[in-house]
Amino acid sequence: MLLAYKLALASPHVSAAAIEAGEFPRLADEMNVWAVPRIVVNGVPQWDGAVREPVFVDRILAPSVG
Amino acid sequence: MASYNAARLTFMPVFRPDEEPRLRELLDALERPVELVVALGPEETPLPGARDVDFSAETVRIVEGLTALSERVTSRIEQQPDGVILFPAVLVLPAGEDMGLRYFGTPYGYELASLVGAVLEAGRPAPSLTPESLERLAALDRDLAIDVFVTPT
Repeated sequence: MLLAYKLALASPHVSAAAIEAGEFPRLADEMNVWAVPRIVVNGVPQWDGAVREPVFVDRILAPSVG
Repeated sequence: MASYNAARLTFMPVFRPDEEPRLRELLDALERPVELVVALGPEETPLPGARDVDFSAETVRIVEGLTALSERVTSRIEQQPDGVILFPAVLVLPAGEDMGLRYFGTPYGYELASLVGAVLEAGRPAPSLTPESLERLAALDRDLAIDVFVTPT
């Protein structure tokens, strides 16, 4: 989660939200949340699990994302 | 909410006594102040069997527990502020500026560390990313809203 917040602080184009899946079950259902952390960008699920900073940045900035 | 859990949580400290001094030190050292806005409004009905907790009251208690540790962190409560549709929520504002950092839900259990981490990061004058990451982000020209689904356990 912290990496997402760091990206938001570093770029005016990025915002970052943690969403507690148990408190928002309808949204978690819509995003097919089965494992956490589940990363969703612009409403599209991307991957599950924590990754290191270079991998996180790679995946978030991939041309196919967003 | 009259429930065993709610009554029990009221007396449960937000931070362990042994972690408070270090946290106070970290928060007092923030180079810019951080404001936390607790956004309250209608809550979604949690899953059957979820803990019987007043999530809004618990979120207020956690945030106030954090702000009690240092004058560098302040908080206020807003009812259904513009642009927030999930409640409760905590908006993390570095030096009072909205840079898009949100926590939707109650930041308890392991997720308390996410809120504390957000505050510590927001209190830095510059992001703690590698120069390579910063360079790549500087070239970003489209808006990305990252949602990270989490659980407190």
